[in-house]
Amino acid sequence: MDLAALKTQLKNFVQSMFEEGVLDNQFSQIQALQDSTNPNFVEEVITLFCNDAERIINEINRNLGYQNVDFSNLDSYVHQLKGSSSSIGANRLKLACANLRQASDERNKEGCLQALQLITCEYCLLRRKFQALLHLERSIVELETNQK
Amino acid sequence: MAPTLPSSDQASDQDNWDNGRLARKRQLLIEIVLRNKLTALVVDGDTTCRVLEQLLLRSYGVQTQGVDNGRDAVALIASGVKLDLIIIDMILPVLNGLETTRQIRDMGVHCKMLGVTICSRESERQVFLAAGVDVFIEKPLDPEHLVPILRELDGQ
Repeated sequence: MDLAALKTQLKNFVQSMFEEGVLDNQFSQIQALQDSTNPNFVEEVITLFCNDAERIINEINRNLGYQNVDFSNLDSYVHQLKGSSSSIGANRLKLACANLRQASDERNKEGCLQALQLITCEYCLLRRKFQALLHLERSIVELETNQK
Repeated sequence: MAPTLPSSDQASDQDNWDNGRLARKRQLLIEIVLRNKLTALVVDGDTTCRVLEQLLLRSYGVQTQGVDNGRDAVALIASGVKLDLIIIDMILPVLNGLETTRQIRDMGVHCKMLGVTICSRESERQVFLAAGVDVFIEKPLDPEHLVPILRELDGQ
């Protein structure tokens, strides 16, 4: 596939993520921050976000496995995940976190478990799409480098 | 409403691609030129948020530091560092954002403080403002909220 076609494919792929509600305009802000002084910024932020998100989801899972759930501890993890999701533009994941926050506020363990299931699904979807996005970006960079 | 990316109707050669991205960047980041050297501190326990907020500030030429907990924020300010702007989350490790804000204000620090947090309830907003932040912003921090504040600090 040639460079122009790859760039169109990337653009359309990102657009589809917006249209599906997976991403919101905040992700566009992040893309706008990438320039020649930060050429790999988008990839770095996505990697940072995914590493943290997986750690937090695992911690939430572990917390909810205890008979007596420490809801204040849970609150701080949900807060972190919702914050980073909103900051990277992960719209559906952010909304799923709101459900967990609500259930946690109500000290509703069953509700928390259901909300965590949704969070896990949304995160897995997002991660797959981010991986595809980054694969396209790397292919573009490789082609551009070869053409120079 | 889903944002619309630049049209692909024109030939998508390198120049059109770069110009499109540059135009989008200008549109999204609301370009301003600061006359003065401003300094800022970002206090956020989440790495992704902290990195993004610091980079957004730096993209406007603001000299920015970051710490991941309230205790380190208080210690940094107590060491005499002069700041024009502090961006602080409500929920922080070690020392929470509300107490951190109170301690900073109790030290006689009068710089602009933005409470940037996912907490969106009116009660949370009131509590954060009462603790001493000047502005309450629901995450994410974006140029629409940040630029007017930077202009004000720059005397524009």
